[in-house]
Amino acid sequence: MDQNKGFRALASLVLGRDLCTTCGACAWICPYLDAFSARIVRLHDCDLAEGRCYAHCPRTGLELSHLNEKRFGLRDVPVKLGFYSKILMARAQDPGVLERAQTGGVVSSLVAMALEEGIVDAALLTRVGKDLLPSGKIATSREEVLECAGSSYVASPSLATLNRGPWDGVGRISVVGVPCQVLALEKMKSCDLIQDAPARKVVLSIGLFCTWALSYGPFINFLRQRIPWETVESMDISPPPERILRLKTSDGTREFPVEEIRPFIQPACAFCADMSSELADLSVGTVEGEPGWNTLILRTEAGESLLEKAITQGILEVKALPADYLEHLVEASILKKRRALERLRNMEEKEFKYLKADSSWLEAVESGPKRGEP
Amino acid sequence: MSLIKTDAPGRRLLLMGNEAMARGALEAGVEVCAAYPGNPSSEIIGCLSQVAEEMGIYVEWSVNEKVALEVAAAASLAGLRGLAAMKQNGLNVASDFLLNLNLTGTKGGLVVVVCDDPSALSSSNEEDSRAFARLADLPLLEPSGFQEAKEMTKWAFELSEELGLPCLIRSVTRVSHARGNVELGELPTQRRRAHFDTSKPILPVPVVWAHRLLHQKLAKCRDRFHGSGFNQYRGPQRPELLILTSGAGFMYSLEAVSNLGLGDRVGIAKLGTTWPLPETFLKEQLARSQKVLFVEEVDPFMESNVKGFAAQNQTQLGPKIFLGKSSGTIPDIGELTPDHLIKVLRELFDVRYQPRPQAYIQEAMEAASHLAPPRTLGFCAGCPHRATYWAVKKALALDGREGFVLGDIGCYSLGMGPAGFFQMKTLHAMGSGAGLANGFGQLGRFGLDQPVLAVCGDSTFYHAAIPALVNAKYNGSSFLMLILDNRATAMTGFQPHPGTGRTAMGETVDPIDIEGLCRALGVQVKSVDPFDLDSTVEVLTDFLRQEKGVRVLVLKQECALVRGKRQGRLFKIRVDQDRCLGLQCGCNRLCTRVFRCPGLVWDSTSGKATVDDAICTGCGVCATICPASAILKEAV
Repeated sequence: MDQNKGFRALASLVLGRDLCTTCGACAWICPYLDAFSARIVRLHDCDLAEGRCYAHCPRTGLELSHLNEKRFGLRDVPVKLGFYSKILMARAQDPGVLERAQTGGVVSSLVAMALEEGIVDAALLTRVGKDLLPSGKIATSREEVLECAGSSYVASPSLATLNRGPWDGVGRISVVGVPCQVLALEKMKSCDLIQDAPARKVVLSIGLFCTWALSYGPFINFLRQRIPWETVESMDISPPPERILRLKTSDGTREFPVEEIRPFIQPACAFCADMSSELADLSVGTVEGEPGWNTLILRTEAGESLLEKAITQGILEVKALPADYLEHLVEASILKKRRALERLRNMEEKEFKYLKADSSWLEAVESGPKRGEP
Repeated sequence: MSLIKTDAPGRRLLLMGNEAMARGALEAGVEVCAAYPGNPSSEIIGCLSQVAEEMGIYVEWSVNEKVALEVAAAASLAGLRGLAAMKQNGLNVASDFLLNLNLTGTKGGLVVVVCDDPSALSSSNEEDSRAFARLADLPLLEPSGFQEAKEMTKWAFELSEELGLPCLIRSVTRVSHARGNVELGELPTQRRRAHFDTSKPILPVPVVWAHRLLHQKLAKCRDRFHGSGFNQYRGPQRPELLILTSGAGFMYSLEAVSNLGLGDRVGIAKLGTTWPLPETFLKEQLARSQKVLFVEEVDPFMESNVKGFAAQNQTQLGPKIFLGKSSGTIPDIGELTPDHLIKVLRELFDVRYQPRPQAYIQEAMEAASHLAPPRTLGFCAGCPHRATYWAVKKALALDGREGFVLGDIGCYSLGMGPAGFFQMKTLHAMGSGAGLANGFGQLGRFGLDQPVLAVCGDSTFYHAAIPALVNAKYNGSSFLMLILDNRATAMTGFQPHPGTGRTAMGETVDPIDIEGLCRALGVQVKSVDPFDLDSTVEVLTDFLRQEKGVRVLVLKQECALVRGKRQGRLFKIRVDQDRCLGLQCGCNRLCTRVFRCPGLVWDSTSGKATVDDAICTGCGVCATICPASAILKEAV
């Protein structure tokens, strides 16, 4: 593994370089890094040589084979979508869940079930609050889980809440996050700077598919100038070729072509090589072309047994993912990796190239399936 | 207990220069004294306020120097004697009135004492206020010592009354703040009766006519300066070098000449009446030597004036070699010292002089270094300003739009340094933070997208920030005004002000409520206790988010020193040595490395934080910032 460094290294290599994914893993550990208004804020300068802030960061020293080995017992995993045992389509059965879900309600259903079945005691989710501001939310009931249903499209430093808690009386935690958060979570779980970190209580991780996330401040400024943004109830982005951001407000729907909001995508997302949360227990996304259905990738035993229980209890309905849909998924995943690699290669300073992968992995990305520009 | 009222003519007392001038005013029968405090002038009105009642005079701390001068001038116009005191910056504030009062003239003696601060030991500028005497065509006196400071002040009232002009006295830190023996004169037994003569309005018009009259008065003044004992010459009849000096320069010159044993080669002419030039005296002195060295602080005021005078009279005086600031012989910035002069004279006369071994200063500093605790320029332990700037720093970081704080003059000026976490970004005149914020707050239309904050103290608010706030409301500027209300004019020595509910003479009055005043202007105003860091940060971030209009946040917490004197500590503070994790905490010594209240100390032996009980004032703010909750607040 990379040598661990501290705040100053994080500041110069990540925070000051637009490489921060706003995952929140570095914040609320110490008095120096804060998570506020969907931003990581440096409050004071810290000169410690080693810190959890640096160790947790998904943009510092990431050795894929090492992480995969720890996670799946395999140094080499399939490059396309990471290691997985099964890939399916699924959707929730409960109309109450479907009503509030972004797509198929799979994540909300599984988390609610995990809580109700006592598989976990609490779940760390992301909730869109006042002013469309997303933040970490600890949920311990079905109702609290449903409050967090739906995508925010805005990067949320939710892992800060994992650092801070409160986790009193909580033995097992489930985390739902985007790929950078799932990556950070694995680093947090294995960080040995302190022994009683809450991340060590995480027994279940549900990863979301993600192509990019928006920076809160600039995006809200954009909305503020154009619509009564305080009345926005939900957001959705339609799949290609349409690609429209739809905002449901109290007085109707407003639409913007995705190209218009592209400038507000976090710069860090361009350097991300993971679309499907490859280190999660199971990953969930949207099936392009099958409205109301989620893609479900099972990667670990914990993930598999969770799904099994959900099927047995009639919570989820599943079916096979058609081959052409899978092909699309792989294409998108490889494309994201290839772009990130290109950008990383173009970086002048070697030390910023956080991603360390074997040559076989790099070759596979280069030679993987291609498709036209999205 | 102030010594200055001692009724014992002939007795010698050890008085500070400022006390000597106050005593001079008392002996002159002053009736009304006013000032806004400012170092090094503050003690003049400070000590007069202590004897006011007993002496039957009126003394006030005015809201600013202009008002102070107007108050003193009113006494003069009613036939009484008035005194206004201020520092050099203060005269700038008062100058607008002064440059009209010179034209209208005065009646009873009116003396304006201005204490300059060469080297800016406690000032934001190094201004030579003497320029105002020339600008305003007013008589100027410069005391060199303590007895003279008293006598000169007394005489200034007579001169002012005789000429019908305000008389300026220019002191400097080393005269105002040093002490020396002063022989007391008689105190008056009777007070004048005030009456305003309504038959003749006091107007500066017709201006040109008034200006001519002013020049006539000044010419008369020049005559009065002839034969004044405040101008003296010491030295041989025809010295090789004539030193022309004034103020503290006289003392330094005496010392340098004496130390070098040059008494029979160098003559020292001292001007006590520096404007208008005492021409007869000057002519006599300039005739003594071909070589003239000017020794004065700060600007070449006398030097320029005398050179002009010498040029005008060159047929009589002949060619001269002038040495001084223009020739680079004397430094043109900073205070002078005897050493400066010794160096100059040693080179001019090629005499050997070893003041002390070369290594002496170094050795002395080393010997003394362990006696002084290592402290940086900063806020006192428990100062509410530290808490305020901590909250401001956090709020601005959270806000994330590179907001910045515009400041002005007060203890909180230290916010520009490490004590205030480098938060204050500008420093000019009293109230200028608010004034600049008015301008910055209009720059949104030109793309400025950073939040603008202004900071001022309570005393400064009354002094100069109110007009800026009115302007902001009227013109719709957008900024956040922070008023650091510590219930004192702390920087100058805790003088009362309109918000304290107390006057210079100790009367209890209705305090003027800052919040109420702001509310009356129709601006949004809130107040918060800066010791409550969380609430302060919350209000600040909330106020920062509102981008339009002027918002006022009053940060209310009494100055730690004032409270300390009144009620002692708020809490007993201690660091629980078991809970403090030291270097294992991961907080990287937030308390002593970043927060840095001098009341907290890092004990390198135990590797933990501890409280310095001798200086901790028990504010308890450090208990809030400790991430391990190891700092405990206990009831006193």
